[in-house]
Amino acid sequence: MQKYLKELVEISGISGKEEKVMQFIKKNIQDKVDSVSVDNVGNLIAFKKGNDSSKKIMFAAHMDEVGLMVTKIYDDGTLGVAQVGGVDPRVLKAQRLKINDEIVAILNSTPIHLDHNLTAVTGYDSIKAYAGFKNKDEAKLKVKIGDMVTFDVKYYENNEYAVCKAFDDRCGCSAMMDLIDFFDSESKKPFYDTYFAFVVQEETGLRGSGVAGFSIQPDVAVILEGTTAGDNPELEKTSWATHLGDGAVLTFMHSGVVLDKRIFEYLVETSKKNNIKHQFKMRTAGGTDAARLTRTVDGIPCAVISTPCRYIHSANSIINKNDYNSVVELIKIISVEGRILK
Amino acid sequence: MKELIKNITEIYSPSGREDEVRNFIISQIKDYVDDYKIDKIGNLIAFKKGRSGKTILFDAHMDEIGLVITHITDKGFYKVEAVGGVDPQTLIGCRVQFKNRTGVLGVEGETMEDLKNNSKNLSFENLFLDLGFSCRTQAEEFAPIGTFGTYTACFADLGDRIVSKAMDDRVACAVLIESIRNMKDSLNNIIYAFTVQEEVGLVGSSVAGFNYDIDMAVAVDVTAAGDTPKALKRISMELGKGPCIKIKDAASVSDISVVNKLKQAAQANMIPFQFEVLLFGGTNAASYQRTKSGIPSGTISITTRYVHSPNEMVSMDDVKNTVKLVAALSNTEI
Repeated sequence: MQKYLKELVEISGISGKEEKVMQFIKKNIQDKVDSVSVDNVGNLIAFKKGNDSSKKIMFAAHMDEVGLMVTKIYDDGTLGVAQVGGVDPRVLKAQRLKINDEIVAILNSTPIHLDHNLTAVTGYDSIKAYAGFKNKDEAKLKVKIGDMVTFDVKYYENNEYAVCKAFDDRCGCSAMMDLIDFFDSESKKPFYDTYFAFVVQEETGLRGSGVAGFSIQPDVAVILEGTTAGDNPELEKTSWATHLGDGAVLTFMHSGVVLDKRIFEYLVETSKKNNIKHQFKMRTAGGTDAARLTRTVDGIPCAVISTPCRYIHSANSIINKNDYNSVVELIKIISVEGRILK
Repeated sequence: MKELIKNITEIYSPSGREDEVRNFIISQIKDYVDDYKIDKIGNLIAFKKGRSGKTILFDAHMDEIGLVITHITDKGFYKVEAVGGVDPQTLIGCRVQFKNRTGVLGVEGETMEDLKNNSKNLSFENLFLDLGFSCRTQAEEFAPIGTFGTYTACFADLGDRIVSKAMDDRVACAVLIESIRNMKDSLNNIIYAFTVQEEVGLVGSSVAGFNYDIDMAVAVDVTAAGDTPKALKRISMELGKGPCIKIKDAASVSDISVVNKLKQAAQANMIPFQFEVLLFGGTNAASYQRTKSGIPSGTISITTRYVHSPNEMVSMDDVKNTVKLVAALSNTEI
């Protein structure tokens, strides 16, 4: 387990620029599934035939991560940026970034010793990226408008925790890859025909999953996510969304949809029966591709299973690897026993 | 029909938990429709055959706004969040129910100043739910995280005016039930879509029409009233002036052909009506417009005071005329 997690989170791939993530996944799964294809918007869809072809299960995780994009090259060679997905400008100050996965840049605004207004938030209007260019002309040789900007961080782990960017949602991608490896190494087949959809552009508005769902038309979709923890020690427990170490997160409702009751209850019961550590998502804000997939074709019943991420949507989010393992254990059981569709 | 509205509004079925209201509706219509089915996400779709070869879909959503439990405290209190658009202001002083057990909500505040500020700025952050338990174990056993609740039912008959929770949109479900039972035969094929999860974002209606060829879709829903003291002065809907033919709200502009057909049907059958422009809000018509290659869509609204509160008020005259308008459109050539 977690064979691919480190590499996956270190790859740069904001919404719309998931190519490298896609290639990495494709390379590692194509010999282990019955077919792999890339659709018109860039979703990577792998298919594994089941013992029973009367029904279809779709697992889905999004390949994109939140990040920035170059919007302007100023005369002095500095760069204006905009967020791609939800990046609060407060997590950006003094961060080290990479433009197009190669040029190192830092992000700053007014020097801190001159910034006397301690309560004001520095917004994107006054944030600039410095990549060592002397002027506009020099910058234009290396950078153009629309270039991808991502956090420049390395994966670190100890026995229990891991730190990096992009656990949202490379955790989900990684879990699906682990599941594919499980079937491959045990020479097993899933119960029902199974589709693994690695989708694009979730962070900018659930864009890839809808078309993947349209072409697959599954009987059920299981969305694998990295989700908000919000369990910082300084916060009261009653405002936590999830808690690191408490297991796989099962969601009953989030922004835009109430998840299918029958499937939610099946997940709770299955986790209990198999002693898989699990918890409930304790806030309803925020959404996943489930909101889009439930509204796709004539309705796709959905479930959401997540790994909690503390400091999500920042350069350094933290997961508990045991939570991730619980997610993988649960989806193994789901796909082997097929009861999700009964 | 008052009895029907009382019964259907007293059912506890918030978004995503529509089983009970769906079963009730099936029991009311099954002997009067040609066929019905429940789709993959829980919409109830009923069919009545017509002669014209054209198909009209009428939609009413089955769900109501509600609350869901998100945390449990050591002392057996709960934190809750909204299912759909619940204004925290409506929760103070009213009763709610979770699994038929009565609950009340209180405001946090550790100093007088906190209490004053929290009461002024009510939010789910500073409210808690009390179901009368004294420890976490009891509370968790009865209602684990993810348990849904609603306002407590309290129907009142004021003559022409009636008051209840969940008029939005059970009054429209009642309208469709009544029109199904009254209508001997119909010119057009009719699909009645009793949809799920409107309140959390038009979920059911996004897929309810997908498997059918539909020539016209009409959502039946409630709309705000502008006839109370110092009400929003730019909206004109009034109780008792007939069903509203919606021109526009924040989510859709009604297809002009649907508006014209509704107007024609109302005039031909001497049914009073009013036009509606709502400055905010939206109905399931918005999602039928976006279904497949697009369905000409509109909305018939029932003017409702105090929408999204435990005490939504409608006029029985409007309700009965809405039943007539649904029947009239069913028998209008489109």
